[in-house]
Amino acid sequence: MSGTRLRHPVAAALAVAGYVIMIVPIGFVVATAFTAGSTLRFPPEGLSLTWFGEAVAYSPFMEAVVSSLELAALATALALVLGVPVTLAVHRGRIPGRGLLEGLFLSPLVVPELVVGLALYQQLMIGLHLDNFTTLLLGHTALLLPYAVRVTGASLALADPALEEAARGLGASPVRAFFTVTLPMLRPGLVSAGLLGFVTSFNNVPLSLLLQTRDFRTLPVTMLDYVQQSYDPMVAAASTLVLAATVVVAVVAERTVGFAKIFGGINR
Amino acid sequence: MTTPAAELVGVTQRFGSFTAVDAVDLRIPRGRLTTLLGPSGCGKTTTLRMLAGYATPTSGRILIDGQDATRTPPEKRDLGMVFQSYALFPHLTVADNVAYGLTMRKVPAPERRRRAAEALELVGLGHLGDRRPKQLSGGQQQRVALARAVAVRPRLLLLDEPLSNLDARLRVQMRAEIRRIQSETGLTVVLVTHDQDEALEMSDEMVLMRAGKVVQSGAPRDVFPAPADRFVAEFLGYENFLTLADGREAAVRPEHLRVVTADAPLDGRADDVVLDAVVRDVAYRGVDVLVTLDATDPAGTAVRLVADHRAEDETPAPSPGARVRLVAPRARLALLTPAAPAAAPATAPEGNR
Repeated sequence: MSGTRLRHPVAAALAVAGYVIMIVPIGFVVATAFTAGSTLRFPPEGLSLTWFGEAVAYSPFMEAVVSSLELAALATALALVLGVPVTLAVHRGRIPGRGLLEGLFLSPLVVPELVVGLALYQQLMIGLHLDNFTTLLLGHTALLLPYAVRVTGASLALADPALEEAARGLGASPVRAFFTVTLPMLRPGLVSAGLLGFVTSFNNVPLSLLLQTRDFRTLPVTMLDYVQQSYDPMVAAASTLVLAATVVVAVVAERTVGFAKIFGGINR
Repeated sequence: MTTPAAELVGVTQRFGSFTAVDAVDLRIPRGRLTTLLGPSGCGKTTTLRMLAGYATPTSGRILIDGQDATRTPPEKRDLGMVFQSYALFPHLTVADNVAYGLTMRKVPAPERRRRAAEALELVGLGHLGDRRPKQLSGGQQQRVALARAVAVRPRLLLLDEPLSNLDARLRVQMRAEIRRIQSETGLTVVLVTHDQDEALEMSDEMVLMRAGKVVQSGAPRDVFPAPADRFVAEFLGYENFLTLADGREAAVRPEHLRVVTADAPLDGRADDVVLDAVVRDVAYRGVDVLVTLDATDPAGTAVRLVADHRAEDETPAPSPGARVRLVAPRARLALLTPAAPAAAPATAPEGNR
C-alpha cells in the first residue's frame, strides 16, 4: 500500500482528492444532522438526536419513504423481468441484430433523464391519461433496464455456453436446464443488478420531479421541496438515515456477492 | 448383422454457404470405440454435435439404435457427452454434477447416490465427491465429466476432443484410462480428435474426415499401412511421396527408407525402388539420425525425401554432400489413389487392404 503511494505520488494524490471531494460534503451533512440548534449550520450547535426524531415523525417524509421503496422495488422487479430475457437472447440466442438489441436496451443510459421525463409526461400522463404512479413506474423501469441487461449479461458472458448443452444432454428439458443451470449462473448478476437498480431508482430526482403529483411523491423530491421552504436540520437527519440504510445495503452486497463482481459487471 | 448403435445416412450440415458436413454415411458399431479424426474444420465436431442433438442436419437422417432420431432433442436421446471444456456445473458439488443426469431421470435419491458414487469410483475419484469443480485439477475435472456422462448409462458416449486441454503426459495416461472405462462398461464410444496418435492408439474403428467428407475408415491396423490418398498419408505421418515408373503415386515413411552407399550390392527384391540421391542435411536425434536427401524418383521428377537412419546401425550415417543410394522396399510403399479422394464406405476395412 505505502509502496504504491511512493511509486505513484500523483495517482495517490488524485485518489485522496477524490475521496475528500466525495466524503467531506457528506460529513458536513451528517454532522449537522446531530445539531441541537434549529438551523442548517456548520459547525453544529451542541449534540442531540432531536432532528432524527422530527424526521421520523414528519409524515410527508415517511409517506414518501414508503412510496419510494414501493416504486424502487416494483421498478427493479419489472426491469429484471424484462431485462433477463433480453440478456438471454443477446448472449445465447441466434437472432440477427443482437448488438442493436443490446444497444436499444442500454440507450436509457445516454438519453438525458429530463428529456425522458418530459416525453413520458406528455405521452403517458397527458396523452394516455395514465396515473402518475404507473407513469413513474414505467419511467423508472426504462431507467433501470440498462443495469438489468448489462449486469446480468456480464454473469452470463462469463459462463460456459456448453453448460446448458451439457444439462440438455443429461436429460434436462430447456425449462429445467434454465432453472437448474442458467439461473444459478445468473444469480450474482441478478443480485447486483437488483441492488444497483433499487438504489438508482430510490435516489432518482429528474424523472420523479417531472412526474410527481400531490398524491405520489418520492423521498428525494419531497426532501427537495422541503429544503426550498424551510432551512432546518431535519432534512440533514433524513439524509443521514438514507445514507445509513444505503451503507447497510452496500455492506450486505459486499458480504454476499462482492463489489468486484457487482461493479465488474459494468466495466466489462 | 446387428443394428449399429448409431447411423448417419446422407447427413449434410450447411451454415449459410459453408458446407460443414457433406453427405456423410457412417455406421457406429455397437460396443466399440470409434474416432472421428481430421484437421480442424473437417466437420468432425459438427458430426458429433448432430449425433448428440445440438445441431440438426440440413438434410439426411440420423438413426440411434435403428430409430430415427434426426429431430429428437438432446434430452430425449439418452446419450452422454464430454465437452472439450468439460462444462461441469460450477454451482454443484462433484457428486451432484455426476448425479445430475440421474436427477433429471427421476432416479430415487438412494440409488442416485449409489450410482453417482460408482461412476466416480470408476474414474478413480470416489473420495472427491464433496468438492466443487473449481477445486479440482484439469485432469480430475476431465474424469468428473466422464463420470457424469457414464453415470446415466448412455446409449452412446460422445467425447469431443476430451484430452486436448491436458498436458502431454496426462493425455497419454488418459488414453489408456478411457479405453479401460470403455471395455469395463461395454459402452459405445464416439471420440472426436485431431491427434492421429490418439486415434491410432484408442480406436477400434477410425474415421478420417476432410472438408466435410469421410475420406477413409477402418481399423487402425488396416488404415495405417494403407492410406487411401495423399491427404490421409500426410495426416498419418507419411513424409515421402514419389511417383513410380507406372505413374502411380506412392507414400513411404522415413523409417522405411534405407540409406546405403552408392556402390552397395543390392540384396533386396527386384521390385524394390532404388534411387540415387545426394545427402542435403543430417540431423542427429539420439535414437535415430534424420537424413534429408535430394533424389529423382522413378518417374524422373526431382523429390526431396527424408530417411530415418537408426543411430546404432553398422553403416554410419552419411555426411552432407555424399552420393548415396536409397532403397524403398516394395512392401513398404503405400500406393495412393491418384485423383481427389472418393469417399470410402464408412465401415469397409476390407476395401483398404
